[in-house]
Amino acid sequence: MSTETAVDVVMPQMGVSVSEGTITKWLKSEGDQVEADEPLLEISTDKVDTEVPSPATGTLTQIVVQEGETVEVGAKLAQIGGTGSAEPAEAAPAEEAPASATAQAAAESAAASGAEGETPAPEPVAEAPSAAPAPAGDGAADGKSFVSPVVARIASEHGVDPAQVQGTGRGGRVTKKDILGFIEQGAPAAAPEAPPTPPEREPAPTPPAPPPPAPAAEPAVPQPVGAAEGEQFEPMNAMRRGIAEHMRRSLDTAAHVTSAIEVDMSKVVAIRKKLKPEYQKAYGINVTYLAFVARATVETLRDYPWINGEIRGEQIVTRNYVNLGFAVELADGKGLIVPVLKHAEGLNLLGIARGVVDIAQRARDKKLSPDDVQGGTFTITNPGGYGTFHGTPVISQPQAAILGTYAVVKRPWVIEDDRGEDVIAIRPIMNLTLTYDHRLVDGALAGRFLRDLREKLQTWDESAY
Amino acid sequence: MAIREAEPLGSLSEVREAGLDREDLLGIYRNMLVTRGIEERGHILYKQGKIPGSFYTGRGNEASSVGVATALGPDDVGTPLHRDMGVHVTRGVEPWRIFAQYMGRYDGPTHGRDGNVHMADANLGLIAMVSHLPAMLPVAVGCALAFRIRGQDRVAVGWYGEGASARGDTHEAMNFAGVRRLPVVFVCDNNQWAYSTPTHLEYACEHLADRAQGYGFDGVVVDGTDVLAVYREAKRAIEKARNGGGPTLIESLTLRMEGHAVHDDAFYVPKEMFEQWAKSDPIERFRTWLQEHAELTGDEEDGITAGVKKLLNDALSRAEESPLPDPAKLTEGVFATQEDLDTPHHK
Amino acid sequence: MSEKTYLQAISDGLREEMRRDQRVFVIGEDVGVYGGAFKVTLGFQEEFGAWRVIDAPLSETAIVGGCTGAAIMGMRPVAEMQFADFISCAWDQLVTVAAKQRWRAGTPVPITVRLPSGGGFSGGPFHSQNPESSFAHIPGLKVICPATPEDAKGLLASAIQDPNPCLYFEHKHLYRRIKAEVPDERYETPFGKARVHQEGDDLTVITWGAMVYTAEEAAAQLDGDGVSVEILDLRTLIPWDKQAVLESARKTSKVLVLHEDTHTGGFGGEIAATIAEEAFEDLDAPVKRITAPDSPVPFSPPLEKAFIPQVDDVVAGLRDLAEY
Repeated sequence: MSTETAVDVVMPQMGVSVSEGTITKWLKSEGDQVEADEPLLEISTDKVDTEVPSPATGTLTQIVVQEGETVEVGAKLAQIGGTGSAEPAEAAPAEEAPASATAQAAAESAAASGAEGETPAPEPVAEAPSAAPAPAGDGAADGKSFVSPVVARIASEHGVDPAQVQGTGRGGRVTKKDILGFIEQGAPAAAPEAPPTPPEREPAPTPPAPPPPAPAAEPAVPQPVGAAEGEQFEPMNAMRRGIAEHMRRSLDTAAHVTSAIEVDMSKVVAIRKKLKPEYQKAYGINVTYLAFVARATVETLRDYPWINGEIRGEQIVTRNYVNLGFAVELADGKGLIVPVLKHAEGLNLLGIARGVVDIAQRARDKKLSPDDVQGGTFTITNPGGYGTFHGTPVISQPQAAILGTYAVVKRPWVIEDDRGEDVIAIRPIMNLTLTYDHRLVDGALAGRFLRDLREKLQTWDESAY
Repeated sequence: MAIREAEPLGSLSEVREAGLDREDLLGIYRNMLVTRGIEERGHILYKQGKIPGSFYTGRGNEASSVGVATALGPDDVGTPLHRDMGVHVTRGVEPWRIFAQYMGRYDGPTHGRDGNVHMADANLGLIAMVSHLPAMLPVAVGCALAFRIRGQDRVAVGWYGEGASARGDTHEAMNFAGVRRLPVVFVCDNNQWAYSTPTHLEYACEHLADRAQGYGFDGVVVDGTDVLAVYREAKRAIEKARNGGGPTLIESLTLRMEGHAVHDDAFYVPKEMFEQWAKSDPIERFRTWLQEHAELTGDEEDGITAGVKKLLNDALSRAEESPLPDPAKLTEGVFATQEDLDTPHHK
Repeated sequence: MSEKTYLQAISDGLREEMRRDQRVFVIGEDVGVYGGAFKVTLGFQEEFGAWRVIDAPLSETAIVGGCTGAAIMGMRPVAEMQFADFISCAWDQLVTVAAKQRWRAGTPVPITVRLPSGGGFSGGPFHSQNPESSFAHIPGLKVICPATPEDAKGLLASAIQDPNPCLYFEHKHLYRRIKAEVPDERYETPFGKARVHQEGDDLTVITWGAMVYTAEEAAAQLDGDGVSVEILDLRTLIPWDKQAVLESARKTSKVLVLHEDTHTGGFGGEIAATIAEEAFEDLDAPVKRITAPDSPVPFSPPLEKAFIPQVDDVVAGLRDLAEY
């Protein structure tokens, strides 16, 4: 086969236990034309000396390993075709963007309902095994007492301190029976008596109780107190813990400030009315206000790279691409996920509408991959699904800002008529908020961004978008 | 119950008596070319780094493997080994699957789970070999046992090498087969070398076929480079077994013309041995015979050669497109299900 | 229902399979004319003929390899090793060919190998072993260890119909000692489902084969102490009923694994490790194992008694666990 793309010549494995080979003689030189299967070079290994035939037809553009050199099996010896120089630069790895903003319902936006995809666990925090609850005062001479795994679990589930429980196990150990019996009886027992067993008898296994079962980290919490009258307990699941951690960390990291602007959406409404049946018929998708806002946002971000940027150490990172995250609520309000539409800068309105529909569908079908929820550079959230007109979302770290969209509400609005006079009209008005990290983005910049975004939405240019 | 040395087949009429016509002969020739072509191609692929693991061929054994396989009936079964690619080819395994198997691709008969020629298409009556040789001999005997119990006139053929003959499996298999007069034929590929071990360090009798007498059946020594002689002896033995005459041991003499595997350059084989045996290259011999006795023309020959070349080129291209197997499916199929039994995996 | 010994249940079950399925045949040493070393196949050759009850030469490799080939050709062979200990002669055929053929080449190998196993009667090192764990370790083989006559019959029927190589360990010491009710009709007992030999709340014993009865006797003594012992008879090791084991472990939180096979590398290690991995937080005591020690099976009675776990050993182990 003739090749223009590069084909590597590699050191073959001449036998199962052979791990390297030595080039004894090159039969061809750089620049020579070679045919597939034609002998290129001779090698020597522990097992045998042999020729290596060319894997392709083309020019021997580069010899990498010289005569006399020994390399490992599989190492590149030479190249046929291609340019014979450096490899293409690696794309910068996308940053991790774990679960983020406090989005609530996504109503009109294409966001999913009923999706119960998993958030990737937030950055793993070193696990500190929580220490066993305080040593029991059960009479062991050195004050230590072993709590078995099942006793530890039952104790933590019920908020009971094993030290309060009378132990009948070896060495005065609190057994499963003991703690279950204790819980059944309700009130704490009287002060435990010293058991009759010899005090120096150590329980054979070593003390520390195991770490809790959850995969996410468990920060140190105050000792659980028993349930009071009318209270119920339910454990926090991994996603909730992840969200809690992220929200706290985001607020502690960024200097959150929010600016708001009102947008007259009448032009968008009109265009959408026109496009909606068209898109439904031709592409089978529903185009939403969110798609319009997203498209205008991506366009505006071109002029405001810091708002699409990030603080990394002492550097400010900006990009020539926009990976747009959309906050999606999960079923029963049990959590949220932020799938990312990659390279949104290359999509027009149709492309973005499609992308949003696809993401929502996959979130609904629980088909999001870890890649789908990483690498975002800017996020849009729609807290307005339930009719609210304002909010202050939390930025998704390590991004610099998050755009909130709210309900489109028909309002009496002052406009100028053709004669230049003020009149009142009914206009569909949407509030937009930009919550930004004031360490990087100043109020003026945010204001200008919102002004430009509004401009684009109010004067929507169909041909451009 | 003595051993015999087989005489070569002289003429076309003798061949007809043995049940082959001219078309059959050209088919045999073609199968030998395909066999060698696959293995030569495999060597190149291996050195290009496209075949993982190790690589074994049976250069010099084409007549022996194709000859025996040609004598098998359609419902007969066999357990060929790594020098017996000709058996797979003759029974109809598609070359592209063989290349895919070599390269560990999904479309090989074992879907990448085993390599080399550790493969077989059960629908063609072949059972996949293992490395512990000759563990397949008791299995071949077991097939014959099933035929005997059910009263079917089918025959099993078990292959082994002169090296493997030193292991107990050979003894137990042959003994059992002889005691019960089972319809099985044992074919010993005696290619003079077991890796670097010559025959005099593997066995102490003059011919391995001598041992047949010890098990109560006949042995025959045949020139393994003479495909027609091999065919005739195999046919005799197979039909004898089919008719209730019990087992036969065929010792087929060849020289292993390459190393034990591609990583072995066989330095321990005296050059003169290679030179001597090269003179009776099985394919060359048969081509000459066809020219002399069956009027093989230059055009016919070219046509066959070109056809084989195209077949193998197409096969290789197709195999290279076969995907690598999916690691996620690694532990599937460790245990068989009832459905596996219901799909025709055997005849 | 009829009352049968463990051996009768096996024999009757095998006979029934051979009557209903012409593909089934028996092959082994002395199984034909002699009726088998333990008389499991007494009368079989008279009924089924010499080509379905085959007296093989002294050739475990040829027997097992022969079964493999015949199974590939569509039959359902049942091989008898005269003693389970001789299975090592056929190791290669089982492990190299039979175990791997389905996975590797898509070809099922539906063979059954019957293995009279276990000690307790001065059989010595080569007539008393329980070589179950080495085979449990090889992917592709199934390992079956019935304890009751009812299970012996049902598990044998399942083994013969199973499309995989099945190693059926019939405990010699149970052959005539154990008698119980066995259904008259044909039934197949599923693999991978443990049987609750007796229910309990305080301790769990996981065991199989002859040790089920040792556990039962020991548990009766703990009953007197007011400790209630649950006994789970695994019935099959590959596949094994992980779910039932974990459920019982979670219920009592104190587990003893008991087997007659030797300690290191015995199947009890697999069970204990699994409980530790998956029910760690339900344990109120470490998982204990009571097994034979790491030596060949001795001959002289006092030695053999020290080797095979006795009722007293199990009682002591259970008491220890109860007090923990």
